[in-house]
Amino acid sequence: MRLLLVEDEPDIQNFLKSSLTEAGYQVDAAADGKTAERLVIDGQFDILIVDLGLPDQDGISLILKLRQLGVRAPVLILSARRSVDDRVRGLEQGGDDYLTKPFALAELLARLRNLIKRNSPPGAEAIRLRVLDLELDLLRREATRSGQLLQLTPQEFVLLEYLCRNAGRVVTRSMILDQVWGMRIQPDTNVVDVHIYRLRGKVDGPGQQPMIRTLRGVGYVLKDR
Amino acid sequence: MSSKTAKPVMHSAAWRISLWATLAFACGTMLVFAFLHRFVADDIQRRSDAWLSGEVEVLGDVAERTPKDALYDRVVGEVAELAGKEVPNKLLSESSSNDSVFFLQTGGDGSRQLWVGAGDGEPTLKAIQAVKIVSNHPTDLHVQGFGVPFRVASIRLDDGSYIYLGLSERDELRVLRSLRLRFFLLWLLIVLFGFGIVFFTTRRMLSHVRKIGEAASRIGHSDLTARVPTTQKHDEVSNLALTLNHMLDRIESSMHQLHTITDSLAHDLRSPLTAIRGKLEMSLSAVMQVEQAEPIVSAIEELDRLTDFLNKSLDVAEAKADALRLNRVALDLDELLRIMIDLYEPSMSEKGLQIRLQSGGPLTIEADAALLHRMVANLFDNELKHLPPACSVTIRLSVEDDAASLILDDDGPGFDPEVCLHLFERRVKGRDSNGHGLGLAFIDAVARAHGGTVAASNRESGGARIIVALPLASNQGYQSPVPAI
Repeated sequence: MRLLLVEDEPDIQNFLKSSLTEAGYQVDAAADGKTAERLVIDGQFDILIVDLGLPDQDGISLILKLRQLGVRAPVLILSARRSVDDRVRGLEQGGDDYLTKPFALAELLARLRNLIKRNSPPGAEAIRLRVLDLELDLLRREATRSGQLLQLTPQEFVLLEYLCRNAGRVVTRSMILDQVWGMRIQPDTNVVDVHIYRLRGKVDGPGQQPMIRTLRGVGYVLKDR
Repeated sequence: MSSKTAKPVMHSAAWRISLWATLAFACGTMLVFAFLHRFVADDIQRRSDAWLSGEVEVLGDVAERTPKDALYDRVVGEVAELAGKEVPNKLLSESSSNDSVFFLQTGGDGSRQLWVGAGDGEPTLKAIQAVKIVSNHPTDLHVQGFGVPFRVASIRLDDGSYIYLGLSERDELRVLRSLRLRFFLLWLLIVLFGFGIVFFTTRRMLSHVRKIGEAASRIGHSDLTARVPTTQKHDEVSNLALTLNHMLDRIESSMHQLHTITDSLAHDLRSPLTAIRGKLEMSLSAVMQVEQAEPIVSAIEELDRLTDFLNKSLDVAEAKADALRLNRVALDLDELLRIMIDLYEPSMSEKGLQIRLQSGGPLTIEADAALLHRMVANLFDNELKHLPPACSVTIRLSVEDDAASLILDDDGPGFDPEVCLHLFERRVKGRDSNGHGLGLAFIDAVARAHGGTVAASNRESGGARIIVALPLASNQGYQSPVPAI
């Protein structure tokens, strides 16, 4: 998976490059629009990360220019601006996504995965999800663990489904709020933790191997091994 | 706007202006006419008086010179009749008998000697006897049986008899009446025409003003790029439009400056925050022991709180300057509250709090979804943080006066009376609060940016009450009513 990272801040570029490489991406980095354009002409990329505040040009102009150059790959826009520009919204509707700084690495990775999935040809939608001995029937909205039916509320089922789809990967609180409740908020109370705590009480019964793990300061992960 | 333009035309300024102008014009012309009428009437009177005086003298002369024989009556009578045919101001002669002039000669004892005129002259004689008529000075005489008075001149002959010559004022009055009628019709025409012209020109001019007003009121908090319409003419109205546009240019440029400052401030702070957070996360993934991870984890959490504080501070700062940028969409408040309650309910019941929603069903407003999400989350965070266990929160959603009203009641300790008056200011918080004191300021900022209001108070039965009112349609909040013109 080849990724082009267009980011002018050396600090951010460095840590993103190493984190993304670690996550399995083949990363090429550019610090300005000119370099990015040259790299795009030279090689094919599967996904792009573009910061809006570039030294030589506006990030959006760069994206539009790259589109004209024939780039079809999805773009994840990074923005340190206060509010989301209308033009960014326009791009978002066209299949791209944005993330405001500062962000959790887990969220960046999740959004990249989402973008790639959205752009790949749609496969048959699974009607069952299975993680270890946890099984979700997406049609009947039922979950079982070791064959035991779990008594979940509809909302808890959606939350568990999201964790299962990201099994083995870290999901942050803001990702959960965005994907499960559909809102980009940052509550300064422990609302998400209580939901997870309740779900864990139902999924990880006594005597069973705990599956939902908390990574403090980062988020949660559903263990898949 | 449709309800405003549909106002009756009688309430418009153009109507009032043209009404007063027309009234002044009508009164003025009426006054001028009254003087003119008076002058004409006096002139006619003077002319007929002169004629009367002259004629009565001629007749007296004739009467004196004519010998008092059998032919006397005929001679004088014919002279009198001839004189009657030369009456001034005579308009109509529909009847052969001349009833507008009479000639009467009385003896010294007041007996009738000669009568030329309509009828037998008896009522005229009676009327003359009843009134003292000064010699050779025309006076008004009301004769029974005649609707209009006569103007009568008299002369005393040497033989002691009197000659009276009377002229009906009927023709004179008819002339004046016809004059009045013509004037009135003309006056009415001019006044109506003038009213029409004044009304339409004023309305045309003021419609520019109204358009300017409408455009100015559309230029709301979020949209400063629009300008009021200008005209090619160089009159006061186009000057007003130009001045307004200059003012808007200046406001837009200072607003732009504010955005630039907050944007660059945000950018300058966020970039290092991103780098720090990234490095912390990387070092977190490298350490395996819990004891070592703890400081890194709390550093990340602190960093997230700092980011949230930064975002809120800038939002509040922009909203205080009416510069918060909104992206309005149709948003169902009822649905939003249900999702939020679903999100917060577990945390609340964990703490022993109850939360209830009383809503009359879907209630759609035009609002910035992200800001409203954060506003409601802030309201709920406040309750969650500050209420002691076993309290309950009731949320009521209703429509009041074209606005969605969201009332949040709790039965907790209420607001600290010390801060109650300054609840919506930045950095105001209760003594026991561990927040950064931006919560209510942020709620107020979001409501204001949407043209709504927030009120907070302590309930009489104990507990706090927060009322958030948000206009149903986006343009109602900051649109001043523009009167019809």
